[in-house]
Amino acid sequence: MISDRMIEAGTLTTDGARAAVEVRLPWYRALPGSCIAGAALAVDGLRAPAESLRWTMNDRTFTFDELVDETGEWWFPTDSAVLSGEIAVTADGAEHEVRVDLTLYIPYIVIGENEVLHIEEHDTKTMTAREVVAA
Amino acid sequence: MSGGLGTPIQGVTLYSFTRAFHGRQYDLEGLIRKVATEGYGPGLEIIGFSSFRGFPEIDDRFAGWFRDLVDEVGLVTTSLAVNADIGIHRDRLLTQDELIEYMRRQIDAAAKLGFPIARVQISLTPDSMEQLAPIAERYGVTLALEVHADQYASHPRILALRDRYEQVGSPFLGFTMDWGATVTGFAPSLLEAYRRRGATDELLAKVVDLWNGFYEQGPPADQAEHGQRFGAFIGLAAQNGRPDLGIDFGINGTGLFGPARVDDWLEIMPWIRHVHGKFFGIDERGEEPSVPVRDLISLLVEQGYSGAVSSEYEGWHWNHWQSPFEIIAAEQAVQRSAAEASGSRMITDAAEARRILDTHLGKAVQA
Repeated sequence: MISDRMIEAGTLTTDGARAAVEVRLPWYRALPGSCIAGAALAVDGLRAPAESLRWTMNDRTFTFDELVDETGEWWFPTDSAVLSGEIAVTADGAEHEVRVDLTLYIPYIVIGENEVLHIEEHDTKTMTAREVVAA
Repeated sequence: MSGGLGTPIQGVTLYSFTRAFHGRQYDLEGLIRKVATEGYGPGLEIIGFSSFRGFPEIDDRFAGWFRDLVDEVGLVTTSLAVNADIGIHRDRLLTQDELIEYMRRQIDAAAKLGFPIARVQISLTPDSMEQLAPIAERYGVTLALEVHADQYASHPRILALRDRYEQVGSPFLGFTMDWGATVTGFAPSLLEAYRRRGATDELLAKVVDLWNGFYEQGPPADQAEHGQRFGAFIGLAAQNGRPDLGIDFGINGTGLFGPARVDDWLEIMPWIRHVHGKFFGIDERGEEPSVPVRDLISLLVEQGYSGAVSSEYEGWHWNHWQSPFEIIAAEQAVQRSAAEASGSRMITDAAEARRILDTHLGKAVQA
């Protein structure tokens, strides 16, 4: 497990309404979108509403509902994905505590009838925010 | 196997260097060159989904580049580790036809990349292995199903596979022996990692006692007993004020440190086509403190095994304070020393390794 590297240091960005951070795979092998089962993003203890979360990898952006059936796009171990959500963060040079929780399905470890292993990983890192213009 | 002593081929799986690759210290080419330059080969094993972007799709140009690189640096591709991602869809498992096609594409990738063996895993049933045999034969790739803790050679699921192999009679079906099934102690480097996470010596002594008790009892008879042992680790952590460590104790205590005895491997020895030299660390005496590397190499030599041994360092999960490169070099020195002590040697020359691996797999074909 490589959960200590899940949040990429120094990658917190904000457009005022939404915050985003780069996330690394805490596992040794590539997984498809369908195995990225859920995430949470919090900055300074404020959690982004679940429905506002978006996942960007391989230049495509998904809701977590859309990831359920996504077996075409894969998260490669050396790539950063971007997790974003509605949290107002100010790029004021101050340090912010970022927390990411991630649930992954491990598709080859079958642990019961119709059930595969899932792992829950989390990471917390402190960094300043950089301002970006809303897309 | 022939009656003579075996000459196992030294090698490594890039999995051992997961943190270096994941941390972008080395890309695939850089890591392969490092393996060659530092003498971790000649055997080279790679996990498809870890190292090849877009796997299992491998285009001819990439395959050509890869094969040229391996030739240039003087390594020998041994096993491509592939995965049966039965749970790739969130709402259902793959159907049998989908699973066979999923595996066929990866076997095709192994052939294109020049790997004579594909390591497959326990989620494949005897029926699946039987169905895959003609596909393996068509691509000329041996399927070596990994026997990994919490299973072990004499586990009912492994014996069922062995019996099916015998019935099917295909030379392209075999096993990968993973040394993690026959461990003799809870890895000290993992205990040190727990200590660094604030676990007390008292708690860690209890973890060691619990594992030693399971070692005395031998490996779990079935999945139910395995589950009970897993639960015992969780309970121990909770009773000692560290419930956060319980699952970790359970996963490692049952899934990495398998308590079968070394001679258990004799149950499947004629079907062993590949070996994962799983290990967790090296102590101040230069020995592996919890994996009986010397006994395992001796067994392989005495049994006439002349396939590859991929050193598979698993300590990277928790050991962030030591270089994996030095630890792996030290473990391979133990293997070489053990082979010599058994009256044989490890093969470290690429040309010789290629010849011997061909014979090892070819011998299997004639068996």
